Amino acid sequence: MAIIETLFFTVVDRGKANAVLHKAQECGAKGVTILLGEGTVQSRLLRKMGVTELHKEILVISASEELSDRLHDTLCKTFSLSKRNKGIAFTIPFKRWHKQTSVQEEKTSDYSICDDKITHYCIITVVDKGRGRECIKSARAAGARGGTLIHGRGAGIPTDFYFPLVIEPQKEIVMIITTKDKVSAIRERIFSDLELGKAGNGILFTLPITRTSGLVEDRFGESKEGTS
Amino acid sequence: MSLLFEKTKEVLRTLLPVVILVLLLCFTIVDVETDVLVRFLVGSVLLLIGLSVFLYGVDLSMNPIGEYMSQEVATSKTPLKIAILSFLLGFLITVAEPDLLILGSQIQEASGNTLSSSIIVYMVSIGVGVLILLGVFRLLRDKPSYNAFMAVIYGIIFILVFFVSEEFLAISFDASGATTGALTTPFVLAISLGLSNIKGGKNEEENSFGLVGAMSAGPILAVMLMSIISGQKNIQGDAGEYVYAEGVIWPIISKFPGILLESLIALLPITILFFFYNYIKFKIPKSEFKGIIKGLVLTLLGLTVFLTAVNSGFMDMGRIIGIEIGKMSPWILIGTGFLLGLIVVLVEPAVHVLGEQIEEVTSGHIPLGLIRTTLSIGVGIAIALSMVRIVVPEVKLWYFLIPGFLIAILLSFIADPVFVGIAYDAGGVASGPMTATFVLAFAQGAATIIETANVLVDGFGVIAMVAMSPVLSIMILGTIFRHKKVEYPAIVKKPAVTSSHLVDEINLEHDCILVIVNRGFAEKVVDVARQSGAKGATIMRGRGTGENQKVMLPIINIELQPEKEIIWFITASDVSAPIADSLLSDQQLEQDGEITVFVSPTEAMVRSFTTIHGPG
Repeated sequence: MAIIETLFFTVVDRGKANAVLHKAQECGAKGVTILLGEGTVQSRLLRKMGVTELHKEILVISASEELSDRLHDTLCKTFSLSKRNKGIAFTIPFKRWHKQTSVQEEKTSDYSICDDKITHYCIITVVDKGRGRECIKSARAAGARGGTLIHGRGAGIPTDFYFPLVIEPQKEIVMIITTKDKVSAIRERIFSDLELGKAGNGILFTLPITRTSGLVEDRFGESKEGTS
Repeated sequence: MSLLFEKTKEVLRTLLPVVILVLLLCFTIVDVETDVLVRFLVGSVLLLIGLSVFLYGVDLSMNPIGEYMSQEVATSKTPLKIAILSFLLGFLITVAEPDLLILGSQIQEASGNTLSSSIIVYMVSIGVGVLILLGVFRLLRDKPSYNAFMAVIYGIIFILVFFVSEEFLAISFDASGATTGALTTPFVLAISLGLSNIKGGKNEEENSFGLVGAMSAGPILAVMLMSIISGQKNIQGDAGEYVYAEGVIWPIISKFPGILLESLIALLPITILFFFYNYIKFKIPKSEFKGIIKGLVLTLLGLTVFLTAVNSGFMDMGRIIGIEIGKMSPWILIGTGFLLGLIVVLVEPAVHVLGEQIEEVTSGHIPLGLIRTTLSIGVGIAIALSMVRIVVPEVKLWYFLIPGFLIAILLSFIADPVFVGIAYDAGGVASGPMTATFVLAFAQGAATIIETANVLVDGFGVIAMVAMSPVLSIMILGTIFRHKKVEYPAIVKKPAVTSSHLVDEINLEHDCILVIVNRGFAEKVVDVARQSGAKGATIMRGRGTGENQKVMLPIINIELQPEKEIIWFITASDVSAPIADSLLSDQQLEQDGEITVFVSPTEAMVRSFTTIHGPG
């Protein structure tokens, strides 16, 4: 079986990304992309005071499974991710596509991640700009802890304004990490609350996660670390 | 931490050096009354509070308003509507600017009443309106290129320079500094960002900047033209007798109501225009509208507290330092000027807003610290040169101004395009309320003590210098950081394949395809993928690591991380393989785009898939 390739995601406070990047490069990471995003506020007090945004940076690292394990360990230690609000990291199995991949090989080898390896799910919702908060709210109601919000844009649709503009609708991408048992509840909740069934309201999909670090699972603060 | 806290921290970091420098001067070489010192300290605290609240309020109000208004402009169906609306935006934000009103009356006085204050205000506002209009048209058409556009505008200014006197040269550049005030600059930045976001395309990033730069040329042209038409050459009179405030608390309190009123008037036109459009068109949801109202109130209060603090706490201090140091050797004066310029510019509200926008737009590709450092060095040199001008009367303003702009314009053709817009913006951004009060008071203080200097003329010149030097310094930075030229792909419009198997999508398995490419290739990726049967896509901007694209700054070893784009596709699993293959087999994407493709199975709820991203 081919080596399972993964994408290693980590979400940290804005400004820390470069430090994390250097550490990851020491571990041997090659392809790293950094995105700017917003996190949600855990403290209820702050939330009541109307503080709802936290600036975050998201690092996406292309890594083999073995490398991503090493990254988990190193980053956990260096940036004490296991403590609350220090940042999180998770691994999503992805197949890196190479040019001459024959169809048969791809069909047989890539998706063979055993089900029991999957500890969490990442729910990704793409909605129009401004509705990301709403999405996180309804996910919270269904038991999610929080989410990360990234700004993006949809691919363009040509329109008939005076200037030949290709309007690229502004989108928000919401990533919510949750345990296996809650995933369908949250999915259904978001789907119905945001009326994703209606045309043009957004899309939602889930990706499996094989390992997480620094995820505070519930209010008692027991940190749940993946055992891989 | 929370956003407000973040802002406070940021303001504190930029304010502390100013306070430390002033205290240092006070305890060593400058003799200051206790009253003034205490007022300065109280002013610093107020400034910290006011500026933090103001920046927070701008985030909540000006940014969304700018976004909505720019959307309204861009999605107009006739050129006339675009013209009227963008002109109106420029006109309205300028006409109520308090700094401009003050400048108007100053010019009226200086010209011996030949030019009336209200005519000046209207002419300058029309100038700004016209330039914003041209800037918006340029942005939406994406041609001519921004550097050529600005070169033409400054070319006209250079021709006019030969017809105006030195005094009016100074005044016209000063007018440009006055119009790019604390309120106008964030708003115009937001408009610029909003327009380029809607327009998108490969020049999106470059287009996010530059409107402030275009706008600040308006007043220069307007005042110069007025001077030529009216035949007014010389300015008379002198700055009035300066009265120091007495006491600690009273000067602060007594200034508050007047400034509150000024700020309110400055904020009102644009608010009314927005409310009007909201009523007839936008109809934004109540919760969002409430947020904007809250933001407007915070903006107003923050601005008022900030301006009060600067006017009452900083102005006297600046003047006294200027007078005291002016008595000493010219070298100390020039050195102090350099230091002041270096650190004071970072407290300017608009500098914070611009920095934030740069970070947002380039997703951290251009480090904030780098822009700030360059900006400070530029302004530091500008103030130092202004001091030289005060000490040596033979040195004329245009000795610096004209060559400075000429070099900047020449460099704009070789510099990195993103930096060109930022550079022109920086001129307007740096000459804000801090320069107009604290630094100006310092210069005027020095000018009163040095006999050969003319308080009025030299005072005007300072702001002109501050408006010029950052343009040059950031342009130089942009030249150093020239990107390796990558030919961006021309997007070929071919009818996409409309495959019939996508109709029954609900029952299919889905794959998630994640593509990472260098910036500028996202459109091409979407294009290629669509031809192989993909539907919509979501594009995110980021920065990344890459060996080939490293742009290094010599000597100090700063590296700009190359910009990347991440594109997500959700496709039926039977087309994901052909899509991934076709992406990888595209020559240009592979070589210049450094493409990587990842695929993973996903459970998608995409009932509405076909309609979300428009026709395939």
